[in-house]
Amino acid sequence: MKTLLTLAWRNLWRKKRRTFITVSSVMFAVVLAIVLMSMVNGMKQQMIDSIISNISGHLQIQDVLYHDEPTMDHAMEYGKEVQDAVAAHDEFIEYTVPRIEGFCLASKELSTRGVYLMGVLPEKEDRMNNLLSRLKEGRMFTAEDDFVVIARGVANQLNLSVGDTIVLLGQGFQGMTAAGTYQVGGILEFPLPEQNNTLVYMPLQEAQHFFAAPGRLNSLILMLSDVSMADHLAGSIQEELDDEWYTLKTWEELMPDKVAAFEARDAQVRVFAWVLYIVAGFGIFGTIITMMYERLREFGILLSIGLKRSQLAGICMLETLFISIIGVIAGVFVGFPIVYWFYANPIQLADDLAEVMIDFGLEPFMSFSIASDIFVYQVLTIFIIALVVGLYPVRKLFRLDMISAARK
Amino acid sequence: MKTVIKTSELSKVYTNTAVPVHALKNVNLEFKEGEFTAIVGPSGSGKTTFLNVIGGLDKPTEGHVVIDDVDIATMKESQLFDFRLRHIGFVFQAYNLIPVLTAMENVSFIMLLQKKEKKEMQRRAKEMLEQVGLSDKLDVRPSQLSGGQQQRVAVARALASKPDFVLADEPTANLDTESAFNLLDIMLRLNREENITLIFSTHDQRVIEKARRVITLVDGAVDKDEYFERN
Ligand SMILES: Nc1ncnc2c1ncn2[C@@H]1O[C@H](COP(=O)(O)OP(=O)(O)OP(=O)(O)O)[C@@H](O)[C@H]1O
Ligand SMILES: [Mg+2]
Repeated sequence: MKTLLTLAWRNLWRKKRRTFITVSSVMFAVVLAIVLMSMVNGMKQQMIDSIISNISGHLQIQDVLYHDEPTMDHAMEYGKEVQDAVAAHDEFIEYTVPRIEGFCLASKELSTRGVYLMGVLPEKEDRMNNLLSRLKEGRMFTAEDDFVVIARGVANQLNLSVGDTIVLLGQGFQGMTAAGTYQVGGILEFPLPEQNNTLVYMPLQEAQHFFAAPGRLNSLILMLSDVSMADHLAGSIQEELDDEWYTLKTWEELMPDKVAAFEARDAQVRVFAWVLYIVAGFGIFGTIITMMYERLREFGILLSIGLKRSQLAGICMLETLFISIIGVIAGVFVGFPIVYWFYANPIQLADDLAEVMIDFGLEPFMSFSIASDIFVYQVLTIFIIALVVGLYPVRKLFRLDMISAARK
Repeated sequence: MKTVIKTSELSKVYTNTAVPVHALKNVNLEFKEGEFTAIVGPSGSGKTTFLNVIGGLDKPTEGHVVIDDVDIATMKESQLFDFRLRHIGFVFQAYNLIPVLTAMENVSFIMLLQKKEKKEMQRRAKEMLEQVGLSDKLDVRPSQLSGGQQQRVAVARALASKPDFVLADEPTANLDTESAFNLLDIMLRLNREENITLIFSTHDQRVIEKARRVITLVDGAVDKDEYFERN
């Protein structure tokens, strides 16, 4: 075995320049693929983080029917059963965010608008999505207050300022009418128009009262210490809850369209990366074929003096693997610092793009990912390509007529 | 003296040609231990074919090749690989050596495949390179050796593992006269000192004169089989 390794290794350097060029082509493909994947994964992670903190959280406990039919009638009871189930998994849950929410009509004098009322605990929301940083005027309520804070768009549409009174009218639990008059205590600004034009925040307890649903929630958001635990934890918590009433939804289940969009994008990136790999694969293929044909006589002689076909095939396979592995290692060594640098110093986006990003609730930076699976993916893919490409000389060697090969 | 190779009614017909070629016709020959034999004959007379068949590189169409009481004509390819490795040394006309290995490594190569003990292998390789007059070229690669020196390394490799016999197909064909004589002298000396049976084919009349037994093939059949006294 050591002999085969030595032979394969030395054979590589018989034509140094050719080997160098082939290794470089593999390296460039790997570097490009790493940078591409790192960039796309970085953006994806940025978007996922934004979705999780702004919208869904990691995991939600809901009434079984709420996801398909989000009305106040499907508000769940937030009592001992849910609290115990959550407490039993305390070690994995960083904090919980309770919400009761629903559409309402908001009016001031003669103008009326549809708004989305969120009953929340302010410090929990702030921990999840920095709600307090959105406050531009007035003050935020505490859990015990009974005033509302509204988004800037709502304020503009209804011509409301801090200190004014807003009338809210909606549908409460089990057909009850929800109605109330509230003072506007503060104004929030949101980047997304659909948030900015619709959101009204109210203390949780006051909102439960408003919706005639004391002790009930539409969702209890669970923020986890480790996102990858979400699926496992969902199952485990569900076991402690009556599944006739309660269900657990991961962020992926709550946001299926987003997940599908990410998957489509991942597929595009993989196609592009595979184009790179195939180009590199042909480079390797060309080199090993030339290496083989220019040595057929040598092979004939080696086989004549007693080297087995399998040993010779092993040498050729090792040569292919060496070229590929050197290429991939070089690619990772060059690619890693590049993406690490961009990871540590995200690219600040220029004006237009930055605005788009902000509009989507994202930081105006292009962030890169340094997740290890990007690199593992390269190594495995190139390894598989090398194995496939390396089969050609192996097949050829097992059919080689050694007498005529040795004679040429 | 012990018989090393015995062929009986050996025939080889190539049928991959337009007209079938009878490259060997009923060849019955015996080679004894320690013989130094030249196979001669005009081009196309079957010298290479004969060496390939007794070396287990090619199958006879009919007949037997008995070496060490086994008929290698009936062996499977995989068995032949092993048989060649353990019993037969080969020297070809050119390009014998592995370009990426040094002279020393080339000479050790067969022994390495035979999984010989490392110390013994190195001792033997060194000894053989000394025998062929290349003790100053141990760590040199083939590309830095002359054609004659390369052939000497090939001879050293073929003999290093002490095979039952060594086959050499026109080992001097690519060499100038002086190198050819030099190589022949070395082969002759090793044949005597190591008592290794050597069979080689050649066109070269001057080289033929060194052999103690000369077998002449004509059209694939043995035309003459002569013994000479030489010193
Ligand atoms: N693989 C083959 N296929 C078909 N015919 C072959 C093959 N090998 C040899 N022959 C034929 O068999 C005959 C003997 O060839 P061989 O090579 O044994 O002769 P030779 O004595 O070694 O000749 P030379 O002195 O030119 O090397 C020739 O007629 C040759 O054309
Ligand atoms: Mg010949």
